[in-house]
Amino acid sequence: MPANSPTPIPTPPVKIHRGAPTAAPAKPRRKKKRPNPVICFLQGLARRLFFGTKTAFKCLLLVPILVFMVAFSYNVDRSGLFQGALAPRRIVDLMLEGYDVTNFEQMDERQVVQLYAQDVPEAPEAIGIGSSRVLQFNRENTGVDSFFNMGVTGADVRDNMTSYYKMVSYGKTPKVLLWSLDPWIFYGSEAAFDSRADADLYNEFLTKVLNVPTDYEEPDKVELWRALADPAYFQGNVDYYVKNHGQATVTDDDGNTIEFNPVQGDPYNQTSTIKRSDGSVLYDIAFRSQNADQIRALAAEACMSFNSVHMEGFEELSQTQIQAFDSFIQYAKSQGTTVILVLSPWHPYLYEYLLTEPDKHKGFFQVENWVRQYAADNNIPLYGSYDPTCIEGLQETDFFDGLHCSGTGIERFFPGVPQALQNLANNTLPDPLAVHPRTSLETAPEEGSDTEENTAETAESDAETSTVQEG
Amino acid sequence: MTITWEQVLAFLSGDQTMTITSLLFIVFFAATALIHYALPRVARPYFLLVASYGFFCYDAANRPLVGVLLGATLITWLCGLLIGRTRNRVLRVVALLVAIGFGIGILIYYKYWNLLADSLGGSWLARRDNLLAPLGLSYFTFAALSYTIDVYKHRCRVETNPFHYALFVSFFPTLINGPIERYPQLRPQIQKSRRFSYSRCAGGAFRMLWGYTKKMVIADNLSHYVSVVYSDPTSMSGPNLVAATVLFAVQLYMDFSGCCDIALGAARILGYDLIENFQAPFESRSFGEFWRRWHISMTGWFRDYVYFSLGGSRCAPWRHYLNIIIVFLCSGLWHGADWRYLVWGLACGLISAFGVLTAKPRRALERYNLLYRASWFKTFWQVLYTNVLFCFTLVFFASALYNADPFAIYASMLQGWQGVAGSWHQITSLIFDSGIDGRLPVVLWFGCFVVFAVEHSGQNVAAWVRKQVWPLRWTLYYTAAAAILFFAAFGQSAFIYQQY
Repeated sequence: MPANSPTPIPTPPVKIHRGAPTAAPAKPRRKKKRPNPVICFLQGLARRLFFGTKTAFKCLLLVPILVFMVAFSYNVDRSGLFQGALAPRRIVDLMLEGYDVTNFEQMDERQVVQLYAQDVPEAPEAIGIGSSRVLQFNRENTGVDSFFNMGVTGADVRDNMTSYYKMVSYGKTPKVLLWSLDPWIFYGSEAAFDSRADADLYNEFLTKVLNVPTDYEEPDKVELWRALADPAYFQGNVDYYVKNHGQATVTDDDGNTIEFNPVQGDPYNQTSTIKRSDGSVLYDIAFRSQNADQIRALAAEACMSFNSVHMEGFEELSQTQIQAFDSFIQYAKSQGTTVILVLSPWHPYLYEYLLTEPDKHKGFFQVENWVRQYAADNNIPLYGSYDPTCIEGLQETDFFDGLHCSGTGIERFFPGVPQALQNLANNTLPDPLAVHPRTSLETAPEEGSDTEENTAETAESDAETSTVQEG
Repeated sequence: MTITWEQVLAFLSGDQTMTITSLLFIVFFAATALIHYALPRVARPYFLLVASYGFFCYDAANRPLVGVLLGATLITWLCGLLIGRTRNRVLRVVALLVAIGFGIGILIYYKYWNLLADSLGGSWLARRDNLLAPLGLSYFTFAALSYTIDVYKHRCRVETNPFHYALFVSFFPTLINGPIERYPQLRPQIQKSRRFSYSRCAGGAFRMLWGYTKKMVIADNLSHYVSVVYSDPTSMSGPNLVAATVLFAVQLYMDFSGCCDIALGAARILGYDLIENFQAPFESRSFGEFWRRWHISMTGWFRDYVYFSLGGSRCAPWRHYLNIIIVFLCSGLWHGADWRYLVWGLACGLISAFGVLTAKPRRALERYNLLYRASWFKTFWQVLYTNVLFCFTLVFFASALYNADPFAIYASMLQGWQGVAGSWHQITSLIFDSGIDGRLPVVLWFGCFVVFAVEHSGQNVAAWVRKQVWPLRWTLYYTAAAAILFFAAFGQSAFIYQQY
């Protein structure tokens, strides 16, 4: 054993010679008093408790290191396990800082919306949901400073509902939900669904909130915990943080540059589409500055592909989707959210064309009337109409193309969220059933029917032309 | 969200192996220590025995082999009992031979079978592929054999309690990497378990932390470069081969001594003091001294049970030199069934024997060496050539580990030198390419400096740290923990000496 070993080497006993024993008889040995077992037990217990507490306290002093590791990994999260992927996170961070963000076309809008719901510090007063047709609603035309537009391009019913559900699940329930209803919301076919939507999240929503049985399973969180407690992941995060902290351009996990940056200069003078800090979209200046003819040409292009936008084979409203819609409205109400429904108009040229072939768009033409009846029955504010003639003063230049109504168009039918709430409170909401959208050429209103007929004819001939051209 | 036990277990046992650097081991050890001290002192050895067997059996591959551990324990204990209880000389010798035969038999069966089969040309013995050796085979076999031999030689009293003895053989902190314990050292500690001492536990915990730092921060990072060079040595230049060999020596020390620190720290927390396995070996001034400071428990075992049995130095000079060579050959063979280990042992034996042979003339010549009048130079020079010799022999060891041709490495060492600047550039560029970049080279330099400075003269780290004032102590705790967190190479937890 080495000399400096901590084990003490027992010293051999030393015999002490005290001379010869005396003659006196040895005293009887006093019997050692046996300790009380209860006292022994209590002493042992107290000793264990004392040292256990002391050791535990000292161990706790090392806990900050672990806390730091977990907190750092959670916040930097280079693989996007907790905070979402790096690119959407960069976008959301910029938006939360009040920046408009470039490169809209390359964004994963669904991830951006979900991350926004997670990261926004306080619940916005109002949010908008819907497809790209809702994306022109912004803080100005809604009249709400904390409005956030959660619309995503090509949104199906799952996108709409899960966007709101995310806000609720993060405890950021908005007071107002502005829902721009697209007709395919009520279509039950697979064609109505967008492949980009988060099906798992929708199933979670159906199972947990609406109590509709699905094949949803609670995700296994063990892998996530392991990543949080994994020092290797922490080291990767340190490397990533050191590399990117304070840099103008940010890279992703593979070292590629993330091309989402704050908009420089006047946002209304950009040559590419940008995402505003309120979630709305500002198209590039060329797209926004088209004249009526150019817009009509785009609308004419959209005529032939109308059904391909989630409405292929849309013959009638799906009872399942109607139930889902109603359940969702009731759910939003139960969360204290006021729902405002909006029917964003289609370009007059496009709508006229649809009227010429009502048999191909049976489901579509049923939607508005059903929605109006539903809004009337449930006292839900409803603004706008799919039929552009039902909106007073709407011009062709109030559109960007056949599908997308611009901000100026929105202002023609939507008075803003505060006004809508006031109308609701005063019970002075416009009667939804007072508006009668055209569902076929026969039911078209009398005034201006010549013009419309002419338009329809033109549309038909144009469509034929385009078909011929396509052929 | 509710957390189930299944989830916690799945979280802890992610890779299904309880390596000493895994989170699972730390949790297992903490739970063991907690229960150990909660129990009455008399019950503690029995609980530790259960924990040790639990540790052995955790890996599914080891479970079928638990019989080997159990058999080695039982047979050596029974033989020891027979040797201790009988005065019949023949019976004592037979019992000793049975114990030794069984110990060596399982070593041959599990470790050297294929070497024997290859040596015999496959006509006598067929190769056994995928033959898995039990965890810690060399360590527990040697520990068990030492007990029987000690009892036979009256150096140790016979143990009547089989459970106490079983704990000595299977004590889990020593099961992976040693040290190879002796029963007289451990017996009093098993028979009378120590009371809880906060100071001991804190010292033990720091010893463990120190070991983790050496292993995970220094050894594992150095292995990046060493493995790059030794995986393809024929395409490497001389400077890189020399640098990799030197760094392999450092890596091996940090790896092995780090694991021993963990084992000693863990045992210390549980109230046991184990044999120190290293005493600043790189400060040795002769090759013989080096081996008295490196892997002390193994060299001590061979010295006590092989070298002395062969006559040691109390015999004719040629026998003395032969004994030294035999001991080192055994030591080489102990490391693995590979001719390169054997040659490594032979090289070490020859150098040691040569050192003994030339000791007197060298001492006589020293007085004429003017440079040796400066004591610092003498020390520096002796330390330098001792370490150079060790590194030189280590090529065989590293070659066995990385399955390389040692002679090709020696031949390549002389090639590709491009002056000081050019050679240095070759080394540094390959070091960076191997992944040791950024702040890591500085950390490794500094880490090595701190380790060698703190362990100077074989200082006991645990005892040393307990003497420091608390701000320095806690700074050291935090620094070591932060070094692991920021710079440790995770995911390569296997110890080099674990496979022996």
